Parts: sequence; C-alpha cells; structure tokens
Amino acid sequence: MARPRILAAMSGGVDSSVAAALLVEQGFEVVGATMKTFCYSGEGSHAKSCCGLDGIVDARLVAERLGIPHYVFDVEEEFTRDVIDDFVSEYVRGRTPNPCVRCNSHTKFGDLLRRAEQLECEGIATGHYVRIERGDGARLLRGRDHDKDQAYFLWGLAPDVLPRLHVPLGELTKPEVRARARELELVTADKPESQEICFVPTGDYRDLLRTRLEDRHPAMEPGPILTEDGTVLGEHDGYAGFTVGQRRGLGGGFAEPMFVLEIRPDERAVVVGPRSSLEMTAIRVERPHWIGAAPAAGDRVAVQVRHRGAPLDATVAAISAAEVLLGFDGAQPAAAPGQSAVLFEGDVVLGGGRISRVVRPAPVSA
Amino acid sequence: MDPIYLDYAATTPMRDEVMDAMAPYHSGAFGNPSSSHRWGREAQAALERSRGRIADALGAGRREIVFVRGGTESDNLALLGRADATRANDGRPCIVTSAIEHKAVLDAARSVESDGGRTIVLPVDRSGTVDLDALDEALEEAPCLVSIMWVNNEVGVVQPMSEIVERCRARSVSVHSDAVQAVGRVPVRVDDVELDLLSLSGHKLYGPKSAGALFVRSGTEVHARIHGGGQEAGLRPGTQDVAGAVGLAEAVCLAVEEQARARARYLSLRERLVGRLRAEIPDLRVHGDGGEVAGHVLSVGIPDLAAEMLMVSLDMEGLAVSGGSACQSGSNGVSHVLSAMYGEDALPAAIRYSFGRPTTDAQVDEAAAATVRVVRRLLGVAAPA
Repeated sequence: MARPRILAAMSGGVDSSVAAALLVEQGFEVVGATMKTFCYSGEGSHAKSCCGLDGIVDARLVAERLGIPHYVFDVEEEFTRDVIDDFVSEYVRGRTPNPCVRCNSHTKFGDLLRRAEQLECEGIATGHYVRIERGDGARLLRGRDHDKDQAYFLWGLAPDVLPRLHVPLGELTKPEVRARARELELVTADKPESQEICFVPTGDYRDLLRTRLEDRHPAMEPGPILTEDGTVLGEHDGYAGFTVGQRRGLGGGFAEPMFVLEIRPDERAVVVGPRSSLEMTAIRVERPHWIGAAPAAGDRVAVQVRHRGAPLDATVAAISAAEVLLGFDGAQPAAAPGQSAVLFEGDVVLGGGRISRVVRPAPVSA
Repeated sequence: MDPIYLDYAATTPMRDEVMDAMAPYHSGAFGNPSSSHRWGREAQAALERSRGRIADALGAGRREIVFVRGGTESDNLALLGRADATRANDGRPCIVTSAIEHKAVLDAARSVESDGGRTIVLPVDRSGTVDLDALDEALEEAPCLVSIMWVNNEVGVVQPMSEIVERCRARSVSVHSDAVQAVGRVPVRVDDVELDLLSLSGHKLYGPKSAGALFVRSGTEVHARIHGGGQEAGLRPGTQDVAGAVGLAEAVCLAVEEQARARARYLSLRERLVGRLRAEIPDLRVHGDGGEVAGHVLSVGIPDLAAEMLMVSLDMEGLAVSGGSACQSGSNGVSHVLSAMYGEDALPAAIRYSFGRPTTDAQVDEAAAATVRVVRRLLGVAAPA
C-alpha cells in the first residue's frame, strides 16, 4: 500500500525541519514546501537574490538530508494581500495587528492545503507547538511545552484544515526538538529563534509602514500626546508607531511613568496615563471564528489577549456571529485593539477573534 | 516510472571522451601555461591545441578564440567589451539586440544603457523570429554592436543569422551571436556566416561547466572587462583553466562532427512528442510554430494551469523538465521570451522539454504519458475509461 503523502511546510527553521524529519520517521511520504512570502526588492545589490534567501536554502539542505523532494511555492501575491496589506491598514486604524495570525489563517494553511490537494497529498504539516486530538471532530490544543506553545496564533484555522493537519512537535519541548535536529545533523539545528516579523527585515515595523504608505500619511505624521482629560502633554512622531500599553517613545519628564491608553486616528492623538489607568474589565471581539462549537452566553472561558500572556478568567457576556463580549473577573492590564483574543477551555482552543474595543473600568465616583 | 531527464537545454552530463581528454590536466600536467619551464610549456601546448581545435570546428582562426568562464561571461565580454571600445573612441555605445535574448545579453545591454549608452530591443513575431525590418531601422542608428542569439534557449527557434549578418555587414556594423544553444544543434561556421563575435559554452555540449569561449574576429575592437596578467591576449586575464579548455575543445569538436545526425534525431523526437501531446491535450500551443526550430527543444503552453503546480507535479512523476528556462524555476516570473512572442496577456503555463544524446523514443513516450496524466489531474478531467 502506498504511504500517505504529506506536504510539509519547511521555513528553513529548526522546528519545521524536525517536524518534517519526524514524519519521515513515522513512515509518511513527505514532500517539503517553502512558501516564498515576500521578496526584499528594489534597492540594494541583493535585490534579485530572494531565491537565495537563507530560509529556502536551509530548507533545501534539510530536505536533501532527509531524502525528500522540496519545492518553493511563490505566494508573494497572496501574502501581500492577506497579511502585509492588513498589517498596514490595522496600524493606520490605530490598532496593533497580529500578522502571524493572518498568515496562519490564510497563507500558511489555506494556500498550502490547496497545493496539497493538487499534489494528491492526504495532509499538510507544520512545525507548530500545538497538539491536535482527533476523534469526533478534531480539537486544537496547546503544545505540551507551554513555554513554546503557539496556539494563540492558530485560532483562525479554517474548518477544512484541522482534520488534515499534522503537528508532530506538539508533544515535544524546544530542547528536545533541538536535540533531535542535532542527532539528525540538520543544518538548522542551532539556528536562533526567529522573533522578528518575517517581512520587517529592519526589525522596526515603522520602516515598512513608511515604504507602504504614501508620503506624509497622517498615521506617520506628528500629532498630540493627550492626557485622559484632554490636556496636551506634547507631540509624538506618528500614531502608527504606538501600541496600547507601550511606555517607550513618549518622551520623559512626567511625574510618574506614562503609558499609552488609547490611539485616536481621527485626531492623530495618542492618549496616555499612569499605569493605574491602563486597565480593562471587558473586551469586544469582532468577527469571531470557532474551531468547534461556539460558546454560549454565560460560559466560563480563559482568554489570552497577547502572545505569551497568561490566560484570564472571563465570562461570555454576549455572543453573536459578528461579535463576542467578554467580561473579566477583575480589572486586567489593558489589551491593544487589533490583537487577537483567543478563548480556551483548559488547553483546548475554542476559537478567537480580533479585539475591537477595550472596556475600561467606570471611574470611581467620589 | 524511472526518472527521466528532459532538460538538456539547462545542462548536459559530461561525455566520457571529454572527461578522458581532461583527466591528464587536473594533476599530472597541471602547469601554468604562462610558465616557461616544461610544465608550463606542456600546459600551453594543450591550451593552444584546444584553441586551434575550436577554431577549426567553427571556421575561425586560432588567435580569434578567447577562453572565458562560460556563456554568460562570453556574452558580457562581447557586449560590454564592445561598448567600452566604443567609448574609448569617444563614441556613445548603442547596442541592438532582440527581446528574446538570454538574460546574459539583455542585462548586459541594460547595463550599457545605464552607463550612458543606448539599447534598441528588436521585437519578434509569434514564431519567435526577429523582425528584420526593425533591424534595418535600428541599423540607421549606427550601433556599435548587434547581438542576436542563434538558437533560443526557451523555445528552440533558429534566427535567420545569414540575413542578419548580411544586413549588418552592409552597414559595417559588428555582429555578435550568443550561440550557446546553437553549436552542435545547427551548423555554426563563422567563415560561412561572417559574424564578428560569437559566444559558446561547454556545459550545454556535454563539456565542462565554467568553460566557454568568445570568438573575436581579428580587427574587431573589444576591451577587457577585468584586469590582470594579460592572458588571452589581455581580453580575459587570469590563469587559464587548461583542463576546461581541453574539455571544451573535445566537446565542441564532437558536437560539430555529430551535428547533422543529432539534429535529425532531435527533430524526430520532437515531432513524436508533439504528436502524442496534441492527441491528448486539445488546447496545446506549440511555441515557435511557424519558425525554424533547432529540434532539441520543445516548448508548449497549456492553458488554465498554474505553471508552478505543473512543474512540481511533473517532477513528482519523475519527469525533469523546466517551465520556460532553468533560470526561472522557483519563481513565477513570466517568461520574457514568451511575452515577446505572444504579448503580455495571460500566458498559458509553459513546459520546456529538451532532448539530449541519451534520450530515447520510449522516454519521450513516457514523458508524454506523464504530462497527460498530470494535466488531466490538475484540470480535474477524468482519464478516459
């Protein structure tokens, strides 16, 4: 009988390398695929060298080592449309996007799965630290290694993806993965973690905004720094450079440390206040997506509002197809609109959405 | 099915005769041909014998062959070296070339342009043949060089080189041809078609990679692009690769000797493959139809398919071909050659099959069957019961 064929996403990092290796060991017919998502183009002597980007070369070396074919899929157009354009427009709206969520919801899985089908693969694989339980409908769970867990980024998986997704690293810890990579003598074994946003080569996303927005775009122009009562404290150099909860970049000279509380694109204003004002009691989550059945009003859930953030106990206060209102058990450090809110029950991912509004505590009356 | 390599226009395996000829020069006779002692003399003799063999095979003089490191370098030396010579004579270089050239020529021409020169790119018709009226018009501009490839690498179309050269010579304009795909595939003799410059490459002819040559007709002014110890009459300084030159000479001589028979065989393989594909894929377009073809390349277009998936699927079936040319694999870049031939709008996915010495009728039949299987699957067409 023919071995089931799997299309394994290989970014050229250690995780996806080991994931592919494990599937080979498990007896699958593995086909490696690197998604070429973007190209440093235009200026510089490396303008034409995107085909030589380290990731692609490393993935090819690993594939050769594993004795599997490896292909490069050009998804630049899709990635630009689904991820980069969204990233830019969210900052223009004064929000803080999660591009990795967009990529996982669209490019990495959707575009990969479509290719897998055309290549007669029974499934796809990635090197994410999450687990999948199959049974009466597949369930997505946090990775066993909670330090590396990536469930936060995967709430947007389309319903057809999960049953066909293989995530061989879900039961492993990062040190175990590196050890396997060394045993297999993979060139990627000691590659450093990728922390930056992959399409922001300079590490400063404002550089990307500047190249993608027209000159003197309001989001990148100076505007007022306001206190909660409207007092002008100074000027900032473009509201798109700020995120709710941020302390840096506001200038000094305040009596106590100041934090960004709110971004008002219409006024190009950044509202700041002391840490005590940086609280929320509830959030509105737009366009929720559920992996299994949607929760019901009154359900108790754990909500994660930032990558590596602790899950917060909350109650589903109201729910519709368009929106969920989540009330926290107590006041919490405010989340940034645009970030993902992911609902869990224990380790199981229920689903998530984008935070559209943060509800701050009502002022204490005197 | 056993893997089948039908990508001989990308590169070829070295022939035994070539490897045998090269073997003594890797370690035993390893001398530097510029040295005056016996090691050097031995190496120089081998180098010059090779130069002579290539010259004879092409109808050139021995001193007119310059060894370089491959086809791209040869093209660059021809274009940039000719442009520099023009500048040295206080002229503004103007290069006339065609829209279907290899990137080595097109990009070199563009760099002449960005250095203050001019480039005129001649259009081609749907068969891939250069527009000779456009050439006549361009010749009015007194270019310093016309560069037209003899056989195109993507579609295998042969240009009317005699006519092109005649028109250029009538106006005393130098002509270069990138003959990398032509030598061994069609008759190439510079005493018959009187070009001034001609580029060839070893690895397309079952010879070594990184070995190439530029024919420079005596009296044609070309300036060196790199500087050093004056080897190759100062045009390509750097210690010569004697083994590479010996291998190149062997490969060129064998290719030229076998050319007529090889072409007849390739044309029959091509016809066989076209027939089998046409019978099963109704909307198949054969690129270069209506023009003269060299025979070793068959490029077809298949509508409604993504080129990327087609290439990957064929590879998974064990069939090594390329989409457009090898230089485009891994990217979705639309072929500039096919765009020039058919216009910009919605080019069908292209497959380039190219035949070589080991290719058999049976391989061609299997390649056709694999292609049909993949195309049917990707188009979602059920195989006939």
